[in-house]
Amino acid sequence: MSIENNPAPPGAVAVYDERQRTILRGELAGLVAMTVLALGGVIALSMALADWRGFQGWRADSTYNYAGVQQINFVEYLNRQKQAIAQPSVEALQAYNVWQQKNPQTVNVQVLTQYLGPQYNTTAKVFEYMSKYFTPGVGQSCEYCHNLENFAAYDKPQKTVAKAMLIMQFELQTKWIDSIPRPEGQPLYQLQCATCHYGKAQFWNTDQKNVPTIENLAMFGIAGGGNPTQYDMKHYGITLNGKPPASYEIVDDKLLAARPDAKGEVNYFQVTATKDTPPGLNDTYRNQAAMYHMNTALAVGCDFCHYGGYFKSYVLQDGTFKWPKSQARHMLGMVQDIAINWFPQMPKADPTRGDLAQPNCWMCHRGHVVPPGAYTPGEGEVPQKVSDPQIKPLVDLPVPAPKLPPQ
Amino acid sequence: MATEVYRESFERRTKTVRYLRFLEGLADTQVGPIYLGMWGALAFFSYLLCVFITAIGFGEQVGYNPIRFLRELPVLTLYPPPPSAGLRMAPLQEGGYWQLATLFLSLTLVFWTIRIWTRAVANGLRPMVPIAFSAALFLYAAIYIIHPIWVNSWNEAPPHGLRGILLWTNHFSVKYGNFYYNPFHMVSIFGLLGSTLILAMHGATILATLAYGAHREIDEIEKSDEGTHRAQLLWRWVMGFNATAYSIHQWALGFATLTAVAGAIGVLLSGPVEPDWFQWACRADIVSGLQKACVP
Repeated sequence: MSIENNPAPPGAVAVYDERQRTILRGELAGLVAMTVLALGGVIALSMALADWRGFQGWRADSTYNYAGVQQINFVEYLNRQKQAIAQPSVEALQAYNVWQQKNPQTVNVQVLTQYLGPQYNTTAKVFEYMSKYFTPGVGQSCEYCHNLENFAAYDKPQKTVAKAMLIMQFELQTKWIDSIPRPEGQPLYQLQCATCHYGKAQFWNTDQKNVPTIENLAMFGIAGGGNPTQYDMKHYGITLNGKPPASYEIVDDKLLAARPDAKGEVNYFQVTATKDTPPGLNDTYRNQAAMYHMNTALAVGCDFCHYGGYFKSYVLQDGTFKWPKSQARHMLGMVQDIAINWFPQMPKADPTRGDLAQPNCWMCHRGHVVPPGAYTPGEGEVPQKVSDPQIKPLVDLPVPAPKLPPQ
Repeated sequence: MATEVYRESFERRTKTVRYLRFLEGLADTQVGPIYLGMWGALAFFSYLLCVFITAIGFGEQVGYNPIRFLRELPVLTLYPPPPSAGLRMAPLQEGGYWQLATLFLSLTLVFWTIRIWTRAVANGLRPMVPIAFSAALFLYAAIYIIHPIWVNSWNEAPPHGLRGILLWTNHFSVKYGNFYYNPFHMVSIFGLLGSTLILAMHGATILATLAYGAHREIDEIEKSDEGTHRAQLLWRWVMGFNATAYSIHQWALGFATLTAVAGAIGVLLSGPVEPDWFQWACRADIVSGLQKACVP
């Protein structure tokens, strides 16, 4: 039966076609409406996520550079935080003048002379170092640690802590910072009190750390995309001292246990599979949590350290060596060292304060590739390795063989 | 007209028909009748259980606080058991919820496929729709069931949740050395882009020939100088050849199923057969210019 033999009634085709056109117009309108709704939804969702985290973009305040050159220093960092730079108080200065006239040569100064040299035998030189690095670094005047009538006395527990911290600073400098793999011409920075403390005697504590507020999550490093739940921790297998921590930490039990093998190779995170890789994606998830922490802490994207085509590689497609990846691997060793060897034996000024915070990337980097608290040393400020430190590491943690460009 | 006559007689046979006029521009305004049947009922209840278990799992994570639930819904995730659990049944809060939800989700998909199959047969149709749907089902099974069983760990399966599934996609790719170098992933993307292209060409062609009545396919297909005729002429002019009104649908179905089937094969080979697709690409010498990143 062909259509010619049974034509449609007059006008029926026109009515039918008009109806189809109406439908087409409706479809187009619907398409536009759906696109607008979908885009709106994506934008709203992004804004909601951003609000949760105070997220300003991965490179919002970044010192994004491959040269390893410091972009802002400690003073500029404090200015941006609207934080005043501490100075010795008037009473402390008066007391120092009296002490200095009475003792032009130092009384019982041990650490500075041991690490920096015999020029720190004079009280004036020690005062210069103290007022330049200690006071602004921890945001306290001399009397916070010292008995102003006897600067040599150890009657304040803070002084014992400060001495141990100074030893840790010099030991970390000579063991880890001085040996960091770096390209020719890249400056070598020094640790100081401010590198971690940023003008505050207690820059965070365990209580704060275990409350996953938005501010604390930003400070302690989060894995991106909202508050981590205890379920997240269980799933990732992240534990700290056997328990799931309340916020993502770069240091967890597995990371603390990672050691270089006989060849000096250390796989902090087993990510890319080999034939022998055990099944499961938890290590990959866990690694990603730590990577997001580094994103936040250094305000860089993945490609700062990685070749995006193959994350495992240290080499870009053009053969360029990825120094930041090599350096990040080295720095993880230092974080381990702080967590295993230094914080557990650090004396406490206030025994009721609970544990010290676990170290992580944010502690020093604060959203910058080179920590604003790092500094370029003046003459006589470069520590030398000493053979017999007053505090010894609890565990002999080997330095992994540095990853260097292929020859 | 034939189609109009058929519709009227069909409508006379049913009392459960409703018309939603606001759908006029988007779809047929007729809603109902719906056929439930045994497989439909099973699919419905199985899905309800899956949603219920997921909701309980999410609820526990936010302390059953509705505000937190809504706020954190995009990041709430029901995780599979940890690697140590292997393929064993895990405690509810450590992957058990995921296992139950996945069980009922899988059953739902199987029941739904059977439902489409039985309805297609009852309607006197070839079961092309359930066959096409099985391609998606195969991809689902490869990701959620076959691959985890092959590597002996539910932990390799994706979690349930908006953020969780996105993270899994990323991590699965990273673990197996960048999925972009997986040749089956390449074929899958080819199918995805191909089916999108074919759907766009087909949709645009039919809409373009509206004025010539191409939507009245059966009536005008036999008539010279009408919509289908002109559509075929257009593509012959543009490409030198054209699909027919029948073969275009074969192309579309073929490309769309290729996406899912190739993707599933790519997932299945990852791990047991090839743990690092970038290194596979190095060996296959298809990383032109990137050899420096290959591990010798």
